[in-house]
Amino acid sequence: MKDILLKVDNIIKRFDNNTVLNGISFDVHKGEVIVVVGPSGCGKSTLLRCINALEPIQGGSITLEGETINPADKNLTALRQKVGMVFQSYDLFPHLSVLRNITIAPEKVQKRNPKEVEKEALALLERVGLRDRANSFPRELSGGQKQRVAIVRALCMNPDLLLFDEVTAALDPEMVREVLDVMLNLAASGRTMIIVTHEMQFAKAIADRVIFLDAGQIVEEGDPISFFEHPQTDRAQKFLNTFEFESVKNHEK
Amino acid sequence: MPDLGLDVLLKGKNLARLLGGLGVAMRISMIAVVISIPLGIILGALMTWKNPVIKAILRVYLEVIRIMPQMVLLFLFYFGTTRAFGIDISGEMASIVVFTLWGTAEMSDLVRGALIAIPVHQYESAEALGFNRMQTYRYIIIPQTVRRLIPLSINLITRMIKTTSLILMIGVVEVLKVGQQIIEANRMVSPNAAFGIYLAIFMLYFFACWPISMLARYLENRWRV
Amino acid sequence: MKRIVTIILTAVLALALAACGSKSSDSSTTGTVYRTLDQIKEDGTINIGVFSDKNPFGYVDENGDYQGYDVYFAARLAKDLGVKVNYVSTEAANRIEYLQTGKVDVILANFTVTEERAEEVDFALPYMNVALGVVSPDANVIKSLDDWKAEDEMIVISGTTAETYLTANYPDIKLQKYDTYANAKNALENGNGVAWANDNTEVIAFALQNKGYTVGIPELGSKDTIAPAVSKGNTTLLEAINNEIKSLKDEKFFHKDYEATLLDTYGKDYEESLVVEGGEVK
Repeated sequence: MKDILLKVDNIIKRFDNNTVLNGISFDVHKGEVIVVVGPSGCGKSTLLRCINALEPIQGGSITLEGETINPADKNLTALRQKVGMVFQSYDLFPHLSVLRNITIAPEKVQKRNPKEVEKEALALLERVGLRDRANSFPRELSGGQKQRVAIVRALCMNPDLLLFDEVTAALDPEMVREVLDVMLNLAASGRTMIIVTHEMQFAKAIADRVIFLDAGQIVEEGDPISFFEHPQTDRAQKFLNTFEFESVKNHEK
Repeated sequence: MPDLGLDVLLKGKNLARLLGGLGVAMRISMIAVVISIPLGIILGALMTWKNPVIKAILRVYLEVIRIMPQMVLLFLFYFGTTRAFGIDISGEMASIVVFTLWGTAEMSDLVRGALIAIPVHQYESAEALGFNRMQTYRYIIIPQTVRRLIPLSINLITRMIKTTSLILMIGVVEVLKVGQQIIEANRMVSPNAAFGIYLAIFMLYFFACWPISMLARYLENRWRV
Repeated sequence: MKRIVTIILTAVLALALAACGSKSSDSSTTGTVYRTLDQIKEDGTINIGVFSDKNPFGYVDENGDYQGYDVYFAARLAKDLGVKVNYVSTEAANRIEYLQTGKVDVILANFTVTEERAEEVDFALPYMNVALGVVSPDANVIKSLDDWKAEDEMIVISGTTAETYLTANYPDIKLQKYDTYANAKNALENGNGVAWANDNTEVIAFALQNKGYTVGIPELGSKDTIAPAVSKGNTTLLEAINNEIKSLKDEKFFHKDYEATLLDTYGKDYEESLVVEGGEVK
């Protein structure tokens, strides 16, 4: 087994009196791709936000390479540079060009050489097929293009772990594929990723391990084949059924 | 060509007097603008704070200044300060005070609006990239706020310039008052002078505000977000 | 416009009073708003509030110099007091406010003496008469209001003394009310009404400028006077102005003033009825 990169240990997350995550524990190994699925409101997005310290937790601990992630910590920005995150909404900075969106954080936060960063950014844009849009502004891009830029922006920080929060949920159907392809490529190149998604076919193809979350708890966890084809619990069974459609043609009225 | 009374413009020092009047209007509005903008930015940022006391105080200030006609404020500060406290300030000083109070209130509301219009995702994306609070404001939030703010604040500046026509009520002789004086002084010899003089005043206001409006349009196109 | 200004002034007064509360009485004990004659002389400059756009009473000529009937007297007053004069441009609506806050020492701005105003400021001796006048077309000159025909209408401008006076004293005369001077003038020229009642200085000037019209009634109702005004209680300055007006009688100063400033507008015929010499109203 490879080294453990991220350890989530029995975390509790409450909004006022509403417990959203209730004792979640799992490990993420280097190079592993975890897909988190579950019904709306089950706490998937909150889980990612906790891992990136955008939300404080009320119990348990999250450790990245042995260091505890704590929103009140002064070393937070150092830790965050190791975790890249892509959100559902197109969250590029509207006042900056595509290239500047990508290079500003490596330059200002990591204090890297601007020339080097730019070279790397252009190479990454090339890989996602957007080299020619480097000088465009976000408002000139389609939703799919914006998400690909957002992925490149996260990548350019050279993070150890990438978090994807329903990145295709707000996209038009014809643009979903181009974004998923980029993610498949990343997985193939050995990136460690935690992906929250509703694209079940994609989940099956990309996941090393699937975590099924319901009502703030891990209900089922396992390799994609056994999860999608032989779910162990009723809840997982019921959830997966919502993605199946029985043919209604030729049925008696 | 019909008699527009334009000859009256060139009589004696009339043109110079009109320009002088414009100078008074511009001086008062520009001093007020230069003070209002930084103050408005500070107050606008304070208005987005969660502190309910600060919020309430600023809200009251904004509403009071907005509800009161500028004319009332001018009377209040010119005559009211003398009546209440025995302080005798000049009409020009009273005008600057009133226009600064008004400009600061309006500017703070514009800044508040621009700040809350920035989606929370912008803050979160910046945080997720490892920016600290200062860097988030410096590189992400303030540049976006300024872009939203520029056309709005330039609109405010032109409104302030135009509203200086009220200060004649507290004895400050600005361009409109000079115009009325010229028209009245010539009402026997050139009854049509009103048209020519108002035309001239229109042009003067236009040339004072036009470059500012053009700058706004240029920046708006350049910085469309 | 007058009404708006009144509302604003009332609001300001209310606010100012509310703002200072008891403090206003403090300031009256610690000091006065006005400057006494000695203080003005010591300072060397007197502040006189005049109109800057009411030709021919107070206006600014093309060289930027103040001119007019009121200004002519203001200049003489300052000269005889041995001080320089600083003219302050006032509006009809803020004349009282200027005196009550001591921002000017004297108002010489075509200020008609009324009982209400006399409670707010102190008037000196008058230097001019005003009354109402009625102007009508030459074809049908109205010389008296006593045999007014029921179907005839009188043109007035809303909010003027003429309107108030006619409503109170001639309730049977039908009034046609207009908001502006220009509209009233058009109405008379179009024959919408048989005559136009207004301040006599206004109708006299109108008849002189427009051929075919005559002032049939040059003085209607009670005669009012125009006088200098000072802050309430400023007796030293008030007496100095009164003495000045009395002493100018011998040289017929206000007749000279009229000839220098008003003759072009009102003509020789009205000199005796308009000018008040030595503060003595006939």
